[in-house]
Amino acid sequence: MRVFEGLYYVKRNTAMHRLDPRAKLVYVLCITILSTAVFHTALPMIMLFISVIPLAVEGRVLRRLLSTLRGGAMLAAFIFIFNFIGRLWNIGFVSPSSPEFLEALMPSLAMALRFLTLIATFSIFFLTTSPDDFAQALVQMRLPYDYALTFTMAMRFIPTLAREAQIVADAQKSRGLELEKGGFMQRIRNYIPILVPLIVSSFRRAETIADAMESRAFGASKKRSFLYMLRFKLSDTLFSAICIAITAAIIWLRLSSFLPP
Amino acid sequence: MVSALPPAVIFEQVSYKYPRSEEYSLKKVNLRIEQGEFAVITGPSGCGKSTLCKCINGLIPHSYGGTFKGKVIVHGKCTLEHPVYELAQLVGLVFQDPESQLFCSTVEKEIAFGLENLGLPREEILARVEEALDLLGIAHLRYRAPYELSGGEQQKVAIASCIAMRPKVLVLDEPTANLDPLSAKSVLDVVYALNKKLGVTVILVEHRLEMISHLASKLVVMYRGEVLTQGPPRKVLFSWKILEIGVGLPKPLLIALMLAEKGFPIEAPPLLPEELVELVAGGEER
Ligand SMILES: Nc1ncnc2c1ncn2[C@@H]1O[C@H](COP(=O)(O)OP(=O)(O)O)[C@@H](O)[C@H]1O
Ligand SMILES: [Mg+2]
Repeated sequence: MRVFEGLYYVKRNTAMHRLDPRAKLVYVLCITILSTAVFHTALPMIMLFISVIPLAVEGRVLRRLLSTLRGGAMLAAFIFIFNFIGRLWNIGFVSPSSPEFLEALMPSLAMALRFLTLIATFSIFFLTTSPDDFAQALVQMRLPYDYALTFTMAMRFIPTLAREAQIVADAQKSRGLELEKGGFMQRIRNYIPILVPLIVSSFRRAETIADAMESRAFGASKKRSFLYMLRFKLSDTLFSAICIAITAAIIWLRLSSFLPP
Repeated sequence: MVSALPPAVIFEQVSYKYPRSEEYSLKKVNLRIEQGEFAVITGPSGCGKSTLCKCINGLIPHSYGGTFKGKVIVHGKCTLEHPVYELAQLVGLVFQDPESQLFCSTVEKEIAFGLENLGLPREEILARVEEALDLLGIAHLRYRAPYELSGGEQQKVAIASCIAMRPKVLVLDEPTANLDPLSAKSVLDVVYALNKKLGVTVILVEHRLEMISHLASKLVVMYRGEVLTQGPPRKVLFSWKILEIGVGLPKPLLIALMLAEKGFPIEAPPLLPEELVELVAGGEER
């Protein structure tokens, strides 16, 4: 569950937070392109990964980011191991001192580092962007309002659902349900008495929400207005321009072989 | 209350059966609520109060389907002929569950939601949001998240988000059911103040009759999908029958009923403790 902590917005007032979500998306896109399409080896991945850190420090979400990465590290380790074993399998298991061994090791390491870099980038985005602003950005980027609303409502009801799950779990435990009992499959089955009431009540809740939305004229006008619109400020333009310029420069350096692949 | 204005809400022989349901939840309901009234609806649970509320803004039958007979007319508009979003501008509906009806991330956005749906200009939305916040006395909650608030505060936010749309009729379905007595009182006070200040017609489903019945201009008792009686609260409630079907009578009224049984003359049935004291003290003197 740690991984998801990195998706929860942390309310702060920093330059990173004030940046327009669309400007931050430009940044996310740049890093994504560089780490997937432009570079394929471990060293540039490490460089890209490190470049994320200053932004996290500026947004005062470094500790959250680290906790996300700790969660992601497990997955990264899996990616590394499977890749590595897969490659060794293909070339036939070789001695650790041979160059082939290193050839299998380095790309696997790069894969794992790429994964961490992407996690860190997306995590920074979500840690410093409120779901509302994100949704509003999507709407202003022409995504239909319904989808954006679905997203914000999902975010809004996570705490409610978590609280409800806790209440159901407590109630079932007080009737003798033991969650930690049995083998793997049994443990999964133990959660059924919690899930079923939770799903039933969620359906009922969904019905009330739909009623409440309709009762407030949802769908009345094709041209919905907004209390708050996002404005692309000068700082947003500057930030995006810098991101694009640096990315373009890096790609040029790479194409002219000044940088390793 | 004689009024030259057309009635706010009329139910004409309304019967309704939910889809996949065997029995009718409303049976030949006739009801007439005048503009500016403060009508209280009560009755045991499952008698069809919520169903009736959802008929007023057209959720029934438009969103629910089922079998709908008869007519509901709100300010001259037949609900069958107008979509819910149009009726929503005429009728505000506040639900029982305080939390599920609030789905935005801040109180301010919650109140703005309906106005945004109408496509109003930004300045107008802002002005109406502030007006609603002030009317409900919740300006200090403006930037809070609705789910962090207490039940009473949540209901006030729900009411504010309806009031901001400037409805002519405000329907509240057991708004105090999940609240402690103090918050319940505070919510009911605010609803009564809105009725007096704005002249908005209030239709309130409520069990706490001891808190509210003396303020009602009309009391409607429902039982098993039918309207059992309707009229002035003192007259309607002063009856053993009402007690038997499971309506919690205000204590002073219950005592008066018992006194009446012993032959004590009761001209005006008391709803408030003060009135009972007056009645008994007056009787002594006589
Ligand atoms: N969505 C629904 N589908 C089917 N039956 C319903 C639904 N909602 C309520 N009912 C039934 O209609 C009747 C009246 O319910 P309701 O209006 O909620 O009563 P009240 O609000 O007075 O407690 C009950 O018998 C209930 O079971
Ligand atoms: Mg009900």
